[in-house]
Amino acid sequence: MSFPDDLMYSSEHTWARIDGDIATVGITDYAQDKLEEILSVELHPVDSSVEQGEPFGVIESVKATTELISPVSGEIVGVNEDLADDVGILNSDAYDTGWMIAVQIRDAGELDTLMDAEEYEDYIEASEEDD
Amino acid sequence: MIPFARHDPFENMAIDEALFRMHQQERQPPVLRFYGWKRPAVTLGYFQDVDDELNYAYCRDSGIPIVRRPTGGKAVLHGCDLTYSLVAGERSSLFSADVVETYRIISGCIIRGLAVAGIDAHMVEEGRRGTPPGEGFCFATSYRHELLAGGKKICGSAQMRARGVFLQHGSVLVDLDPLAVCSAIGKTGDIQKRAREITAVVTSVRETVGDAVGMDDLCRGLAAGFEEVLHVRLAEGDLSPEEDALKEKLLADKYRRDEWNLKGWSAQRGS
Repeated sequence: MSFPDDLMYSSEHTWARIDGDIATVGITDYAQDKLEEILSVELHPVDSSVEQGEPFGVIESVKATTELISPVSGEIVGVNEDLADDVGILNSDAYDTGWMIAVQIRDAGELDTLMDAEEYEDYIEASEEDD
Repeated sequence: MIPFARHDPFENMAIDEALFRMHQQERQPPVLRFYGWKRPAVTLGYFQDVDDELNYAYCRDSGIPIVRRPTGGKAVLHGCDLTYSLVAGERSSLFSADVVETYRIISGCIIRGLAVAGIDAHMVEEGRRGTPPGEGFCFATSYRHELLAGGKKICGSAQMRARGVFLQHGSVLVDLDPLAVCSAIGKTGDIQKRAREITAVVTSVRETVGDAVGMDDLCRGLAAGFEEVLHVRLAEGDLSPEEDALKEKLLADKYRRDEWNLKGWSAQRGS
């Protein structure tokens, strides 16, 4: 399982890659592993707004739907259309071709609430111990 | 625990989402709810496609409403079943953050509950027992930790998860009308043949133990099963005023609307 150093992570197992005022958002390797086989994804459309900690879509894996929780607030400026053709890339390449939405960040201060890779790994370990 | 009552199909889904959302906000405790349906209805899984999974014309002409669940999974024809919903935190001491493990725990409760009611059921141990007759029909396929009686599926289930809380829907078949199921769910075709195939892989309380076990016995048994396996005491209750208000809002904004229930349907798009 990998957690690239150039990403920021949320407690809801989504990541954000920050480039200027744009955050590219997806689910982490941990999330895709836990979901097992992903069957479908539904994402909010371009031009809609998202809030940090609120849903930006829903993912369906075998036997469960899971809301996708945004790590940042802002306007959705891009949606990965490739997922409609091959949702399997969420399982095979969650950090690159499996990106989900691009968000124009409304409040850069929110980024302080996200975790770096090391903190996220610690968070997962602690969560696993709780189980 | 919210004891058994029959509701309007749209209301049933609105109640469950209200319970789920209020628990997410930590404003209500975990809840187990048993319910029935005032009239037969089809529920669709969140991602299911009306065009692919249903005989819409049959449902419309038979007065069978279609309501989309917030949970995943496949279509169910309700009316002859006992439905339950369970809302809890995935990190509560009783359940798990892992979807499959949560299914296993809940299935253990239901097995015990069915046993109390006199029905011998067991879990599917591995993988998926796929069956061809009705790909869109929940009971035609058994996943790991789902429940079989006499080798045939008797209880189907599906989950939704968000922000650390899960909602599990489950349906225990009290009686099975395979012709009605195959008329409403799945593509048209040889309904008689599909009904025979369904009968071979799906069972019901009635087929298993006859009329000896009624709805009250089942509800009592299942409640006892949850109490015994989870080592908890269920307290009877009802929707709080906040939950009731949210239910009404969800009914108006979502569950009574074709935009939700028939989402993606080609006829709705006008194509």
